[in-house]
Amino acid sequence: MNMSRGQFFRKREFTVLGLIVVLAIIFSLTTERFLSVSNLTNLLVQLAGTAISAIGMTMVIITGGIDVSVGSILGMSSVVAGKLLMANFPVVVILGAAIATGLLFGFFNGSLVAYGKIPPIIVTLGMLNIIRSLLFQLLGGRWISGVPPAIRVIGLGKWLGIPISMWIALILILFFTYFLNSRPLGRAIYAVGNNIEAARVSGVNLTRTILFVYALTGMLVGFAGLIYVARTGIVQTNTGTGFELEVIAAVVLGGTSILGGKGTIVGSLLGAFLVGIIKNGMVLLNVPALSEGLVIGALILISVVIDVVRARGERI
Amino acid sequence: MKSVFNQIVENRMLFLLILFLILFVIFSVGVRGFFTFYNLTNMTQYGVELGLLALAEMLVILSGGGGIDLSVGSMLTLVAMVIGVLIGRAGLNPSLSIIIGILAGLGMGCVNGILVSYLRILPLIVTLASLYIYKSLALIVAVDPRFGPNPMPVSNFPENFYFVGQFRVGGIPFQVLFIFLPVILILYFLLEKHAFGRYLYGVGSNEKAALFSGISVTRVRLVVYTLAGLLSALSGWIITSRIASARPDIGLGYEMQAITIAVLGGVNIKGGEGTIGGVVLGVAIITLLYNGMQLAGIHQIWQLGSLGLVLVGSVFLNQLLLARRKF
Repeated sequence: MNMSRGQFFRKREFTVLGLIVVLAIIFSLTTERFLSVSNLTNLLVQLAGTAISAIGMTMVIITGGIDVSVGSILGMSSVVAGKLLMANFPVVVILGAAIATGLLFGFFNGSLVAYGKIPPIIVTLGMLNIIRSLLFQLLGGRWISGVPPAIRVIGLGKWLGIPISMWIALILILFFTYFLNSRPLGRAIYAVGNNIEAARVSGVNLTRTILFVYALTGMLVGFAGLIYVARTGIVQTNTGTGFELEVIAAVVLGGTSILGGKGTIVGSLLGAFLVGIIKNGMVLLNVPALSEGLVIGALILISVVIDVVRARGERI
Repeated sequence: MKSVFNQIVENRMLFLLILFLILFVIFSVGVRGFFTFYNLTNMTQYGVELGLLALAEMLVILSGGGGIDLSVGSMLTLVAMVIGVLIGRAGLNPSLSIIIGILAGLGMGCVNGILVSYLRILPLIVTLASLYIYKSLALIVAVDPRFGPNPMPVSNFPENFYFVGQFRVGGIPFQVLFIFLPVILILYFLLEKHAFGRYLYGVGSNEKAALFSGISVTRVRLVVYTLAGLLSALSGWIITSRIASARPDIGLGYEMQAITIAVLGGVNIKGGEGTIGGVVLGVAIITLLYNGMQLAGIHQIWQLGSLGLVLVGSVFLNQLLLARRKF
């Protein structure tokens, strides 16, 4: 943890932070609403779900894996939460059910990867489709809307001016950063990603470590699904489609190596912020929503190319 | 018995062929209207569009280095919109428009290839970024300023634009005979008979060894990503012609299905391993599955679910059998 100043400036987190600051300055100078309380609140609430999911995704990618099923899992836990909400179950039950739904699918993903020895991209690609079909079946082609207000405090409530969902995200990020840096299982996650053979020989329980990261990702995404319902009050059949790409973009922008072994949760949070701030600023600038993808895509490339130039051709 | 069993496990082609035959028999016996000349020829047209994309994924994944192309669906969409707007709104000659559209696809694939091979950025990141960019461009192209700021589909094509997607020759869809089959044959020649195939498998299975034996890794990768753009463009043209409409959301989610089929067809996601025959069988199995389920009255939403089950199931079974064989 004791790195010199030079090291910090060479880090990916610095590039991303710099981009965020530059964009924030541009948006506050060019629009009146960017710095308004309502806008910043809105920005943070929208970010919370992505940031929470990115915690798990960061760990999965550090082990050298990937989870493209998170969008479907988010949709599924939203459906479960939404249905229970409409049936007026207590909030604690709904919270438990949303997380359990995510955990169930995450555990299933993890088992297939860890015990079935099937490549993660195949497992989660398959599950992406399977879960989406189950979700359609459960919803029966209808929407859930008009969710009772009891739950909406998670989505819209605030404490000390910061949305509650963002507080939860920050606490989770702090905890899991500590976990990843200082707990044996956390270190094992890096070890698996760096050199799986070496990790095995030095006594790391590979199956348990791999199972853990996918199950945890499922749980966190399940919780993000609840936040989604609480925030929007609507669940549709296509809820969460494309969410996986947003989370992966955040993690990759944050400097986690897709080859495994390298990355931080704080980096992913910054990545999520970068994507969120771009989306937000473009809406304020009245840039047609159509070009949003253009800008996000270009930024992913620019930030990576900056790194490539710095590393002088080293593969990232 | 033991040797037959081993062969099935080891030979992906045989495994897929048996899976195909089992599905074929089940649907022929159990589903009314499946085993008719009309249905059997008609369903092949649906396989073409996904099939071209699956072949694109095959080439890219074979080239290794984390090779994958998430942008095929977006490239397809942008090509469809370019062709649609040029013909339907600008009133350009259809043949010229199609050529421009396909050149656009080549260009997009080439950009992916340059970023992957010369700038050495990982394919997942490059194509994730270009997925966003091309999709966004397709939406922008689809805006018709005469009708406000929203993207709109184009549907006013001249009659002669429909030949590729809707005409038949001897009962067989035009695009199967004159696009899909030639593409398969050309790729087969390239991969199996031509030096390029050896380069490609070499680069995919051991990049360093390929480099030391004088193969230009960058050039091989540039070529496959460009080809992926070309194949996606062909697919975009065919879909537009078949459904007689160019829509800005037409290729949504196709990338995942295409990757699924390539992997089902036995392409190793780590590169260097996989055959064109396997992928074509994968396309056939999925086409059969979609068609059979549709005729059996199973809701369309289960198409994707069954695709997922087949993918995970087939790889899982393979692993299980391989593991058992070791004892």
